[in-house]
Amino acid sequence: MTTGRWLVIGCVAALAAVPLFGSATMVQYGISALSIAALAQAWNILGGYTGYASFGNSVFYGLGAYGTAIAMVDGHQSFGVGLGCGVALAVACAWLFGGPILRLRGPYFAIATLGLSGAMSAVVSNLGFAGKNVGLILPLYRGDALFYELSLALLVLCTLAVAWISRSRFGAGLVAIREDEDAALVMGVNTPRYKALALLLAAGFSAVAGGIHAYWSTFLDPASAFDSTLNVKMVIMTVFGGPGTVLGPIVGAFSLSAISELLASQLSTMASAFYGLVIVLAVVFMPGGLMELGRGFRRGGRRYFLDNMRRFRL
Amino acid sequence: MHLAAQILLNGILLGGLYGLMALGMGLVWGVLNIVNLAHGAFIMLGGYAVYYCHAGLGIDPFAALPIAMVGLFCLGYLVQRFVLSLIARAALLNTLLVTFGIDVVLTYLALFAFSADFRTINPSYAGDHFELAGLTVPLAQLGAFATALVLAGGLRMFLARTRTGRAIRATAQNLTAARLHGINPRRIYPLCFGIGTALAGAAGGLYGVVSQVTPYMGNTLTAKSFVIAILGGLDRPLGVLAGGVALGIAEATTDIYLDPTYRNAIGFGMLVAILVLRPTRLFERA
Amino acid sequence: MRCTLVALALVSCHRDPPASEDAPIQLGAALQITGPLANTGRYYRDGYQIAVEQINAKGGITVAGHKRQLALKLLDSQSDVSLGVRQYVQLLSQDKVDFLLGPFSSNDALDDSSVAEKYEVPMVQGGGASSQIFSRGYRHVFGTLPPADNYFDSTLKMMLRLPPRPPKTAALVCADDSFDVSVAQGTRKLLAAAGIELVVDKQYPEHTPEFSSILSLIKSKPPDIILWSGHEPQALNFLRQAKSLGVDANLATSYTVGVPAADFRKALGKDAELAFGMTPWIPSKDLKDDWFGDGDSFARAYEQKFGYAPDYHAASAVADVEVFARAIETAGSLDRARVRDAIAGVDFHSLYGRVKFGATGQIALPELVVQIQSGQVVPIYADDFITRPVYPVPAWDKR
Repeated sequence: MTTGRWLVIGCVAALAAVPLFGSATMVQYGISALSIAALAQAWNILGGYTGYASFGNSVFYGLGAYGTAIAMVDGHQSFGVGLGCGVALAVACAWLFGGPILRLRGPYFAIATLGLSGAMSAVVSNLGFAGKNVGLILPLYRGDALFYELSLALLVLCTLAVAWISRSRFGAGLVAIREDEDAALVMGVNTPRYKALALLLAAGFSAVAGGIHAYWSTFLDPASAFDSTLNVKMVIMTVFGGPGTVLGPIVGAFSLSAISELLASQLSTMASAFYGLVIVLAVVFMPGGLMELGRGFRRGGRRYFLDNMRRFRL
Repeated sequence: MHLAAQILLNGILLGGLYGLMALGMGLVWGVLNIVNLAHGAFIMLGGYAVYYCHAGLGIDPFAALPIAMVGLFCLGYLVQRFVLSLIARAALLNTLLVTFGIDVVLTYLALFAFSADFRTINPSYAGDHFELAGLTVPLAQLGAFATALVLAGGLRMFLARTRTGRAIRATAQNLTAARLHGINPRRIYPLCFGIGTALAGAAGGLYGVVSQVTPYMGNTLTAKSFVIAILGGLDRPLGVLAGGVALGIAEATTDIYLDPTYRNAIGFGMLVAILVLRPTRLFERA
Repeated sequence: MRCTLVALALVSCHRDPPASEDAPIQLGAALQITGPLANTGRYYRDGYQIAVEQINAKGGITVAGHKRQLALKLLDSQSDVSLGVRQYVQLLSQDKVDFLLGPFSSNDALDDSSVAEKYEVPMVQGGGASSQIFSRGYRHVFGTLPPADNYFDSTLKMMLRLPPRPPKTAALVCADDSFDVSVAQGTRKLLAAAGIELVVDKQYPEHTPEFSSILSLIKSKPPDIILWSGHEPQALNFLRQAKSLGVDANLATSYTVGVPAADFRKALGKDAELAFGMTPWIPSKDLKDDWFGDGDSFARAYEQKFGYAPDYHAASAVADVEVFARAIETAGSLDRARVRDAIAGVDFHSLYGRVKFGATGQIALPELVVQIQSGQVVPIYADDFITRPVYPVPAWDKR
């Protein structure tokens, strides 16, 4: 255990040192890989542990970005204050909509969150102080290392939270909800409260990622803030890595971003179909993600893939 | 007053096409319990099928609809039989992800096969219209509405009257019980998915006549189909058609009496509201 | 986690060898080669490519006595704005390109140009016209599309001079994105100055396919002119739905985009006939160019090479490359600060027109009024009439 812990600390330290000796490209890809990993990790709390597949996490990401941008552009506040506003806005929204939406189950929850994301984008594109659909321009900040370290800190924080969840009573309650919500309720788990808390956590972490993105990219409009493909990426990365595990989303996010960026860094239009292909194959052959693949492959070898296929076949 | 009536008519005519788009998605969702994110991609392929029949072979677009439907049926049948059946018993999220993947791949292939050019299916009568009681009735839109009505009615008859249709409905209500009565889901599922994609194909062809066909048209249409399928009650064909008309009217009136920039807020707002306010009706089915 | 470190390291390990005196000068861009914007993105891909090839075929450019070739490094941003931003950083720090060419669309240019400003590398972009791009005080961003606010200027001037009478009422229909909001704001001022009353003024969501309600509203109080602005797919739908609902302006309808594009005419066929539009560029023998001869021979070479006719996007892309060729020769080095100053001072005639940047870094070309006549884009009006327009445009049922 202790060697494992040292290894993790070593990895984080190595990652933190990247801006010191890495190239600007590495920092840039790092920002995006770290923040998508953090987003996947945040999605994992609700989607992986609780079993509620949200397509509305991009709402919180977008609100985080808009809260930050509005505070900085309209209110002339510093980035720190802006980030706080963004998180507050997203958490307030999660609190407001969480109650009614979390009563829905299965596909209806997923669809409702998707609808919320579409509606939020349309509403924001009509708000004058949010720049309507034209967008907001943020001041240019040249220190990309800051965005990198912030993204890394967010990922670490989010992962620590998930690590805590995985060992706590709270986490056990969430897993109980995922396995059988009615049974969990009978067993005395306060399911509405647990679900709401999971949503609030996910919203808060996603909002920070949004705020960082807004300041980094210097331009924010509804299409980039409430991008539903970003949400789909969070889901794909988590599922690819291993939903409901502590390290799964990180492994999924890092490996998929690395491959996809490598494809995109050459003139290869294949990159745009990449996520589609990966996800079909991954879901069919290894629905437990990379984390389970390791175990399963050791036990069953190549048969692991075929077994998975047989397990869910009609 | 006259303007209001015209807006209502526009909304109803457009809504019929909306309903047709969602018909297949609702059927697949209700029966197979698959939320098909690739639905829009199948609509897109239907649009191209009709486009090439019309532009390449000179077939009238309405006459080309059955051809597109047969083609899309076969494609849907194969996709279900060889891909989706592999995850028929997996969690909902997994089917969502696989259909998303299929959508991305189909869109990508379409870009290469058909290029990014905008295509319109433009028969000589596409822009014609006639006046009726002071209202302008566009001919192509009326044709699309009538086709949607016929297909929705036909689907309802098929589900209610034929042996296969009843087997599909039984499967939707209770898979285990249906199996005990000798219904083989391996036969029913691909068939049902194929019908769903065939309907998507028809919707795509008609959409090309009143609007346009591009490789990327599917995304927004998938989202619209969601809204309508939920509004209309999934595998109830006439309900879905009514849901489409309701959305069409809501959008058209928003354009005039609020502002066109609110139309998406209205559509998605309706979706969230209906889910949150009337969950019991949906839970009975799920 | 270690394997991801290796993967991240992989991304950055294949570097180019250090540039030497006669190594080609690298221009880089991240373009929409796939994704929803691919349709227009290809004009930039092909425009940049043909310009670089032609300049190289003519011997390249002279930098401080040495002949140097140009090289082009293009990446596919998949119409994803934030991927585009990362790719621009990659172009600078990993691919070591010397200068940046821009992407298509105002939104992409807004984001991507901030990379240029951050790294103080000049970017000449021919794909973003919104005034937002040039109002940020950036020093390294130059644009070869004319400002959006003035798009309808020449159209209105022409209409005021045409018989039977100057227009008195107008309907303005514009999308809600950056570019079109600029167009709408500018046009409202132009209309007020011309004393034309605005009877319908509607903004629609950028990607909507539906115009029937707005069209019915217009039909209920027919204006003398309809001014429409947005993206090409929407222009297509607006025109088709106008026909199917029998909506006509008393005098004419004009579109900011679509009319000059070959794609638009091909998709609409006869329905595109007599539509008014505008373009800063049309192939012409009068536009002399050092590398291509003139605008006309450029258009022919382009169509032969890529199989479709160029429009102003492609010409603007070529102008971007030529700006660098000129500026680097003037600066006499690849020093980015000196090249930046040289770009700010360029003034030359090209196949695209006269290239000279204003104080904010944007070009000021007049919009040429064009009309589709017998399937051809015919130039109608610049400062004065070039060809007689068909005006007023007959109603749909009288054609």
